[in-house]
Amino acid sequence: MTATVEYDQIHAIAQEVFAAMVDGDLGLLLPWDGDLPDIVDALVAWVDLHGEWSGRAVLVTASDTAHDLARVLLGLDDGDAVSRADLVDAFGEIANVVGGNLKSLLPTPGTLGLPQVGDVLPPLAGAARVQHLPLSWRGRLLVVDVWVTLPTATPEGTS
Amino acid sequence: MRALVIDDSRTMRRIVAGTLEGLGFETLQAEHGRDALDQLEAGAEVDLACIDWNMPVMDGLEFVTAVRANPAWRAITLMMVTTEAEHSQIVRALAAGAHEYLIKPFTPDAIRDKLDLLGLVPVEELA
Repeated sequence: MTATVEYDQIHAIAQEVFAAMVDGDLGLLLPWDGDLPDIVDALVAWVDLHGEWSGRAVLVTASDTAHDLARVLLGLDDGDAVSRADLVDAFGEIANVVGGNLKSLLPTPGTLGLPQVGDVLPPLAGAARVQHLPLSWRGRLLVVDVWVTLPTATPEGTS
Repeated sequence: MRALVIDDSRTMRRIVAGTLEGLGFETLQAEHGRDALDQLEAGAEVDLACIDWNMPVMDGLEFVTAVRANPAWRAITLMMVTTEAEHSQIVRALAAGAHEYLIKPFTPDAIRDKLDLLGLVPVEELA
């Protein structure tokens, strides 16, 4: 797994997604520099991948950051209200596109589940986190994680 | 020209429809393949359908297959707009009858280029 989906590949996917869907420019989603703050009032979006390789792509950020992302995606102005349904849809779609592009890197075909969004990430039985990317979007923390359920999943940090 | 944007994500429908409207299209929207078929069966006339793959109720591949099975809809150009990026999936969609394939994420220019290939960019946009 870690031989086929590396940190740099996931970062490149996330950068491309944000450039195309959010910012219109590469280079605005950077590795987090410095100590990691706690994410207060977190919102989590994830999409599961099924097949010979099974796993999950996860995005985590603070709720206010997710609201700002949704405003950009929905073409709203700063300060405009974002409904819970729109927040879930917009943040979930980012996870969906990240997960779909992650799936294309895998050595065997699989299927992509529908994106889900919640306040906490439900457990994925038998899964190990194999990549953890704390990123900075406009100076605000956004984390991309990749989990796998292969029996031979390599623990984080050994790739 | 009129386009039907089929995606379960309202966010993505807004992005795709906004780009198409910027190119001069009128747009209709559907939340999944069954919703889109219902609109076509009710008489909606469209030149182009932009179709997500993974959707509840009826997915994009099922929608393409259903449209291609109905001769009354043979003039509709079908473009998949999806995160499904594997070559095998692209082949499946084209074999089912899709004319073009655009992988998310995409830029507005990428949609325009695909429509140009399909001969669907309004003349004033090409000038």
